[in-house]
Amino acid sequence: MSRQLTTLSILLCLVNSIFAAEDTRPALNAEQVKFYIDQVAPILVNNCFGCHGPGSSVKGELYLGNRSDILKGGETGPAVDLKNPMDSLFIQAMLYQDMEMPPKGKLPQSQIDIIVKWITNGMQIPPDRETERPVALKSKYNTEINDQTKSFWQHRSVEPSIAPSVNNKTWPTNAIDHYVLSNLEKAKINPNRPADRAHLIRRAYYDLTGLPPTIEAVTKFIDNPDPAAYEQLIDTLLESPQYGEKWGRHWLDLVRYAETNSYERDGTKPFAWRYRDYVIRSFNNDKPYDLFIKEQLAGDEFETLTADSITATGYYRLGIWDDEPVSQKQALYDDLDDILLTTSQVFLGLTINCARCHDHKLDPISQKDYYRFLAFFSGFRRYGVRGHDTVQSASIGPIAVDANQALQSQMRQQLDKELGELDRTINNVNNRLQGLMSAPEKEDFKAIEVRVDIARSYVGKGFSKQLVDKYVAAVQRRQEILDTRPDEIAKTLVIKEIGPNPRETFVLVRGNSNVQAEKVEPGFPSVLSPPEPDIQPSVHGKSSGRRTALAKWITSKQNPLTARVMVNRLWQHHFGYGIIATSNNFGAGGLAPSNPELLDYLANELMDGDWRLKRMHKLIMLSTTYQMSSQSSKTGESKDPTNQLIWRFNPRRLTSEELRDSILAANQSLNLQMGGPSFYPIVAPEVLHGQSRPGAGWGSSTEEQRARRAIYIFVKRSLVLPLMANFDFADVDSSCPVRFTTTQPTQSLSLLNSEFANRQADIFADSLRKRSPDDLPAQIQRALNQVTQRRVTGEEINRGVQLVAQLIETGASEQEALKYFCLVSYNLNEFLYVD
Amino acid sequence: MTKNFCGRTRREFIWQTGAGFTATSLAAMLSDDGFLENQLVAADGQTSWDNPLAPKKPHFPPKAKSVIFLYMYGGPSHIDTFDYKPAMKGMDNKTIDVKTFGRGGHKTQGRIVEPRWDFKQYGECGKWVSSLFPHTAEMVDDISFLHSMTADSPIHGSAMLMMNSGRILSGNPCLGSWVTYGLGSENQNLPGFVVMLDPRGGPISGAKNWSCGYMPASYQATIMRSQGTPILNLEPPTGMSQEVQRKILLSIKQYNEDHQKQRAANSQLAARIANYELAFRMQTAAPEATDLQHETQATHDLYGLNDPRSKDFGRQCLLARRLVERGVRFIQIYSGGNHNDANWDAHGDLQINHDLHAGETDKPIAGLLKDLKQRDMLKDTLIVWGGEFGRQPTAEYAKGTGRDHNSYGFTMWMAGGGIKGGVSVGTTDELGSRAVEDRFHVRDFHATILNQLGFDPNRLSYFFDGLDQRLVGVEPVAPIKQIIA
Repeated sequence: MSRQLTTLSILLCLVNSIFAAEDTRPALNAEQVKFYIDQVAPILVNNCFGCHGPGSSVKGELYLGNRSDILKGGETGPAVDLKNPMDSLFIQAMLYQDMEMPPKGKLPQSQIDIIVKWITNGMQIPPDRETERPVALKSKYNTEINDQTKSFWQHRSVEPSIAPSVNNKTWPTNAIDHYVLSNLEKAKINPNRPADRAHLIRRAYYDLTGLPPTIEAVTKFIDNPDPAAYEQLIDTLLESPQYGEKWGRHWLDLVRYAETNSYERDGTKPFAWRYRDYVIRSFNNDKPYDLFIKEQLAGDEFETLTADSITATGYYRLGIWDDEPVSQKQALYDDLDDILLTTSQVFLGLTINCARCHDHKLDPISQKDYYRFLAFFSGFRRYGVRGHDTVQSASIGPIAVDANQALQSQMRQQLDKELGELDRTINNVNNRLQGLMSAPEKEDFKAIEVRVDIARSYVGKGFSKQLVDKYVAAVQRRQEILDTRPDEIAKTLVIKEIGPNPRETFVLVRGNSNVQAEKVEPGFPSVLSPPEPDIQPSVHGKSSGRRTALAKWITSKQNPLTARVMVNRLWQHHFGYGIIATSNNFGAGGLAPSNPELLDYLANELMDGDWRLKRMHKLIMLSTTYQMSSQSSKTGESKDPTNQLIWRFNPRRLTSEELRDSILAANQSLNLQMGGPSFYPIVAPEVLHGQSRPGAGWGSSTEEQRARRAIYIFVKRSLVLPLMANFDFADVDSSCPVRFTTTQPTQSLSLLNSEFANRQADIFADSLRKRSPDDLPAQIQRALNQVTQRRVTGEEINRGVQLVAQLIETGASEQEALKYFCLVSYNLNEFLYVD
Repeated sequence: MTKNFCGRTRREFIWQTGAGFTATSLAAMLSDDGFLENQLVAADGQTSWDNPLAPKKPHFPPKAKSVIFLYMYGGPSHIDTFDYKPAMKGMDNKTIDVKTFGRGGHKTQGRIVEPRWDFKQYGECGKWVSSLFPHTAEMVDDISFLHSMTADSPIHGSAMLMMNSGRILSGNPCLGSWVTYGLGSENQNLPGFVVMLDPRGGPISGAKNWSCGYMPASYQATIMRSQGTPILNLEPPTGMSQEVQRKILLSIKQYNEDHQKQRAANSQLAARIANYELAFRMQTAAPEATDLQHETQATHDLYGLNDPRSKDFGRQCLLARRLVERGVRFIQIYSGGNHNDANWDAHGDLQINHDLHAGETDKPIAGLLKDLKQRDMLKDTLIVWGGEFGRQPTAEYAKGTGRDHNSYGFTMWMAGGGIKGGVSVGTTDELGSRAVEDRFHVRDFHATILNQLGFDPNRLSYFFDGLDQRLVGVEPVAPIKQIIA
């Protein structure tokens, strides 16, 4: 008995020790070892280990090289459930239920059976066959959210900054100069001399209005002895309506402004131009930047709505939209991601978007931070569901908030009468087409964008040309009525939510909309040590009120990023690049600030000055730093070739808009009419031929309209005007913080040979002849004045006169010869570059 | 990889600024990244301008120097062309259970449309090819067929973006832009990335299919036409003689050089002056490249230029060969344009549609392969054939033979440029409704093309939006080993 007991206790001890050492695993018998080695292992090695075995990248965080890691599982949870083996993700994936593994193709049933048997029998692996999960290389980036990363300068509120002292007391005009000069003195680089007056006025004009000064304005400025003349000039330019068009365009780049949706139909976004006009208006009115943010993010939740606060929310509707997505659910999250990306980069200089599928690889932003931020937008209705009418219902709303009801109804009645007639014409044709179209054509016809094109193809096949023309005219007239409705009954692009209760938000495993993990509530990125969002239900009862909380935090003076990000952009567009050159990315993937103290000084100035931008422009432009010449210097080039310290002003090329506007300004045909629906420049037929329906979605405009500023060109995502694209127009699908400056032969070709350049040269020549008939030297002089805005030398005039003479010798008429000289003047580097 | 992050950012920064740089400072800024240093060959060896299209070395010695992508827009039916399905014989009109997903949505049942063309075996490999491609069939011993392709979308708009740019979302650079970004161009007088369109119009989404997305305009495609003026704005306007143009250019140069004298350090100004010369040279080089007159009659016939059906596509294929000879990196030719039956999108009458488009392209494609082979150019020219997806085995509508889209399984093929001949990889099920064995995704396909050009597809990256962007996406991918010689 005692002996038996002893044996039993020894046995118990043994069992205990096995339990202790190896969880619940009994030792493997020979058969089990053989089964694993001969049957299971080959399947794993050949089909799974490439991604989930030794030496692999351990995809989805799932490692199959040892038993405990299999049980632990990966991002989608434990891979095996030993209690209910058939519920194991591992087995379900092999059976191609929801997940499909291996991705290359379903395993033969015999192999699946082996794995099922292995798992059902406890998933035994001989210990000597187990391998350790590879350790991920430690990132050199500090991505933990802790006291250290919370104390990074850009994560802390802006502190007051004291201007450093400098040796040269006479150089500085204002505090900016102290920050700049102090660094230059340390580096022993002398700042450049002031730019001459002619360069300075040209610089100021282009920077603030995107247009050149007239030669008369230049002369007046040069000859003005008043020391306050420069300051007066800046005041005048800031008050000019062209200021809003220039600086509004910088904003439109950031919010990826376009007027169509991309994809197959690339349909027009109704009234997108009203958002564009809102932006221009806001800059011109010197709207405080914090209000500008609040209107765009949550203008529809304001207690007192205004036309601006409603139009501003078009901000959310500017992105690409796939009207026929593979999965509606995934598409919703793609849309929201686009909004999150734009919002976080534009207002905060943060790439929160990088944490959609996993924690951020470079910055201390967690995946949970991403989804908490996403939750601010999770009440959104998608831009539309499929057809045009769904867009109307989800994204279009009235502008007027307090218009007289009687007046409104009277106006509506009047327009509705005409609209009703037009609709009858349109519907009549639509219905008749239904009877003629093939099934695939009917499918296409569902999209409003293609109807005119399809109708045209039925001319002579059941439709008279007359009827189709009437139809086309009715469609156009209808659009015109909708576009030009008086403000009282006008509509615009707006955000709408599903109601006061938004969708629940979950962390999505690997960004997959079908795999939800933990539920989250709205919140700000935790590394910024933010308050909890203060969410109050919207007074209008139509939305969650979440965006108001977001806007409130972004515009709070405690927010460490908002002001810094904005003043950096101001600096960028005055000096060529920002104090942080990667102006949408203040994180580890961006570049370090060249002068963080200056950045903080400016940020304080912005906030202390009631967030007004015009004051900031003036501060910057009155600095000695801004007024330096752009000339090169030997010391500067050798010590600081990229001009990080700003020892000179950076020369720059005109932007695509500035170039087009300046061509029109030079020949005096520029039409300064502001606002309203966009115009359509002439596009070469060979370019239209690249569309699947050549010419579709591209209208025609009068010559007068075509002479308007480039900011009013219709921005069609799949058809960017070649002149604009060649000169580095902003990417139309994503936020564009900094435009490229490429130099390529297509630029020369378009300025030499394009129909546009030649037509404008012709108009230019005409204007010269009218001004100075029969006086070639005067015409040449004037032409050069118009493109360079400076006094020109006799030698330069002479060269032009000679060219004209030579061209006439080769057989060109006098008229042609002068036109060709004008073409030359449009191709001058001096025309395209600002010193 | 981390270095690449920094390198990219700095490079991004360099491009973004308008300031001039000296070559030494650039090199110093980028010296921590070998690949980027390779990209710093100055345009003429003198000016410090960093020509983004200067020839660059890839990661390892390439098998292919150029790519010709024969894009069958609309989605050719794999089971009617190269994916032989004998089991479907006699099944016409039978209703069966099969999961499909096309523009008509998800379905679980359908009426079989039996393949309408007979198949025959060709070549030493004995490949079964339908009577739609009798000429191309003669070249099967030079071709690797991928029968198990899959894509993320069965809808043209997003599917085309995926085939061209790797993602279903608009805004990403396409394959040709990636290639010119990575390799630059061998011939500065011609564009590095050329697209040729069908006479019936562009594909759905138009220019989005050859967009450089977030990359600079230097990597955008140039549309080239095989007849008339080959490139937009290439020719001086009517009335401007060449002599006049030369005088104009000289005058521009004189003014610009005066202007530059006081701004010697600004290399952009020099680059702009140089670009007028480049533009002028392009004016000669491009018409020379597109002039097919000096090609022999035999060559014309080989490409099907003697047949009104195939002459347009034939001219483009012949032009593609001439461009490859002149160092152009990436050429994409669209078969099909516009909508519905103007391309391979056979929703209506399958037979009429595929007879038309195969008839237009079969001889030119075979001619291109034969011609490249006889000139010993096939070994380093990668030919790629396929559309954005395939088609379903079942009918789309209650009546007729039209097939809806199918991204669950379809066929593409590659030839030349270090690709094996006479090989078929992967299978679809016995109806061709979905890929079942050795399934490949568009990113595997892109990875293979990049690999043949000498790139590790997982290392060819571009920093944007806070991320190291790649054509093939963030997860590592491998090229399709089975077809690489």
